[in-house]
Amino acid sequence: MTDPMQEIMASFFVECEELHEALIDALQSMADGFHDAETINVAFRAVHSIKGGAGAFGLEELVGFSHQFETVMDACRSNELAISDDLVQLFLRCGDFLSDLIRCSRDGDTINAVASEALIDELSGFVPKADTDAASEEIDFQPMTLSLDDLGGDASDDLPMDLPPLADLGPAPVDEETVQAAALLIRFAPEPELYESGNEPLFLLRSLADLGPCQVDLDFAPPSSIDELAKPGGRLSWTVRVETDQPASAAQEIFEFAAGLCRLEIGPASEMDGALPGALPTVEEDIPALVETPLPEIIESKQPTVPPSDGAPRSAAPTKTVAKVSPTVRVDLERIERLVNLVGELVINQAMLSQSIAEENIPQNSPVSAGLDEFMQLTRNIQESVMMIRAQPVKSLFQRMSRIVREASSAVNKSVRLVTDGENTEIDKTAIECLADPLTHMIRNAVDHGLESSERRVANGKPKQGEIRLAAAHRSGRVIIEVTDDGGGINREKVLAIALKKGLVPEDVVLNDNEIDQLLFLPGFSTADEVSALSGRGVGMDVVKTQITSLGGRITIDSTPGVGTKFSISLPLTLAVLDGMVVTVAGETLVVPLNAIVETLSLTAKDLRPIGPGQVVLCVRERFVPVLDLGKELGYRQALSIDNGAIALLISPEEGTLVAMLVDTIEDQRQVVIKGLQESYGRVRGVAAATILGDGKIALILDPNDIAQSASGVAFDNVQKEAS
Amino acid sequence: MSLKEKLRVMVVDDMSTSRGLITQALDSIGIQNVASAGDGKTALAAIAQSPVHLVISDYNMPEMDGLHLLHYLRSSPPTQKTGFLLITGKADPAVIEKGKQLGMNNFLAKPFQPADLKSAIEAIVGRL
Repeated sequence: MTDPMQEIMASFFVECEELHEALIDALQSMADGFHDAETINVAFRAVHSIKGGAGAFGLEELVGFSHQFETVMDACRSNELAISDDLVQLFLRCGDFLSDLIRCSRDGDTINAVASEALIDELSGFVPKADTDAASEEIDFQPMTLSLDDLGGDASDDLPMDLPPLADLGPAPVDEETVQAAALLIRFAPEPELYESGNEPLFLLRSLADLGPCQVDLDFAPPSSIDELAKPGGRLSWTVRVETDQPASAAQEIFEFAAGLCRLEIGPASEMDGALPGALPTVEEDIPALVETPLPEIIESKQPTVPPSDGAPRSAAPTKTVAKVSPTVRVDLERIERLVNLVGELVINQAMLSQSIAEENIPQNSPVSAGLDEFMQLTRNIQESVMMIRAQPVKSLFQRMSRIVREASSAVNKSVRLVTDGENTEIDKTAIECLADPLTHMIRNAVDHGLESSERRVANGKPKQGEIRLAAAHRSGRVIIEVTDDGGGINREKVLAIALKKGLVPEDVVLNDNEIDQLLFLPGFSTADEVSALSGRGVGMDVVKTQITSLGGRITIDSTPGVGTKFSISLPLTLAVLDGMVVTVAGETLVVPLNAIVETLSLTAKDLRPIGPGQVVLCVRERFVPVLDLGKELGYRQALSIDNGAIALLISPEEGTLVAMLVDTIEDQRQVVIKGLQESYGRVRGVAAATILGDGKIALILDPNDIAQSASGVAFDNVQKEAS
Repeated sequence: MSLKEKLRVMVVDDMSTSRGLITQALDSIGIQNVASAGDGKTALAAIAQSPVHLVISDYNMPEMDGLHLLHYLRSSPPTQKTGFLLITGKADPAVIEKGKQLGMNNFLAKPFQPADLKSAIEAIVGRL
């Protein structure tokens, strides 16, 4: 039997990761200028909870560090300490170190005590180390005893308990009190004249937001008849609660020009609250005892006490909501794996069943066909839902990268800003884990090699602070992750020179820009004049490429001198199932992923233009497209001459131009289950995986991108030049 | 039926680790009639459904902290006398003072051993 304490400890470390994520999130918001009480509070609470748990397990280093960390944050929380940029940066570094501490504590690794002390010292510079013993002496508390008789004697008796239903509880009482002291309530109902005189309610509401955080409620009564809608204006009214210490006259001023054009009520929220439509019952009514007992100042200090003078960040503050954590269940990954496999089998089975039914010539409108349709629909829904279980937002990954940027930029003394986009894009959990290393390399490279030094940036008329953009998005059935820097772009002359010097390419090689960029992925390549501590000795990009490829992904470079460089990683959704087009080529049945196919064409002689002996290009809507015979590319046969009526799939690879691929026939379009080949055969060029078709036969799933890239380069270059 | 057998306890903490730890400690003391909740509102709803003798609540929780919870308990007649043990990260005199004003029965600073928890509970309900 496992020790229950061990289990709790394991769950503590999982919880720590969640708390740490919340901490970094909050700190990042603080770095972005959100200094409101709730954000600080979230950060504080995370560290506090980590400390609490660590204490229970006797993790002294973790307790000691988080104690000083939370002490300083507590001082910010109670407005004893002003939040400066330096302080937030220190918090972020402490947050980063905290994650190391957690990891070391979990894995039993040695803790970097020197770094811990150094940070604690830095923190102590803001708030002196708290003397923990001093506090306990002042406490004067005698436990209040209770006799169980007071509580209704024997526990089996039903204690008379009817707490008010929760809906009536309203917000916590303390909130109510302090908010009342510093909130205005404005009820604003424009008359039609207001609209006629060109006033815009939106602008008035925006001006209100300048006073403080607003909660705006639109009071909208549905029209009783359609005619009512035809009447001009005057249908809408708003109730706005502004948290501000400004007097009501400040709000009056905003509505100065609207005087007489609207119905307006302005007053302190405490006086108007009861009259609010749908207002929560006030605390005073429910709980008379409380009014005499003012609630603790320690709690009041947590109220959103936004200083009235800090301009921009504050007016943005109301839109910021603290993410609520939805309840979750932790499931063993193995169980999910099994479910995914079973669903895969289900899809195959369904395909087989469909095929048998089709062969039986059962009419379309029969109950069997109708049932099969529903079955297919359900299968698809199940498959999508199962995939969603494994998917996770890339946010946690991106968050880790913000740390890398911080560390890397300070190591090379560059000012760098990380902008993230598409944090909520979901990708397979395994892929997220496998992406951490390659992305770290890429971010470090971008900071170290991609971005120019601050001086050079300024000399080139760029902002001093470099920008690295990390973006994720779903695009045509794949996940695209881009790392973009606004640096100097790849110095291709230098890259080529180095490649020549190192003997990575033959002396007489002629390479186009794209091919030179690809040299970066060659093993043992480093462009830094001096090998910096940061990017290491050029083990980066080739390893990155290998890792991405092993995930079934691709990596491409797009670099413009003086403007910047973009690395794009494209990953399959690892769906286990994909929509494919079943085709035959030289008697072989193949599956082409549907998302790669732009259109299918039946060729005629006038679509084809010869460009050399045995080479033709296809002219599609005045655009030249190279033609590949799939049979030849896969080594099934010699290239065929293209006949009238030949069928071509127009493929859009992720880089480069369109390609037309010749096939013999198109059989079907259907969902296929991906069965990996790599474990048995390694990676085969042009082949992504295999599948089992409805009739039980095995078919290869092609990787059109790979085929397009590996196809005879001569024709490609020619066409691209001609096309441009 | 001994006291520890009939004592019904509600553990409130937003961290599942802490809930687990407290429940585990209670178990080692011999108190098994334990329910738990991750936040004050859930706890109040559960208590309304199935009353308890003692609430053991963390102080530092989002939305509704331990003292808010105590305040709600005290402001409703049926729970006016329910035992309340506050678990705090540090023994902050200000928090303890407010707890006292609101009618908290006892408090316990983290970290604690099961024996500490036992004495803190015994100080409220008598010898277990």
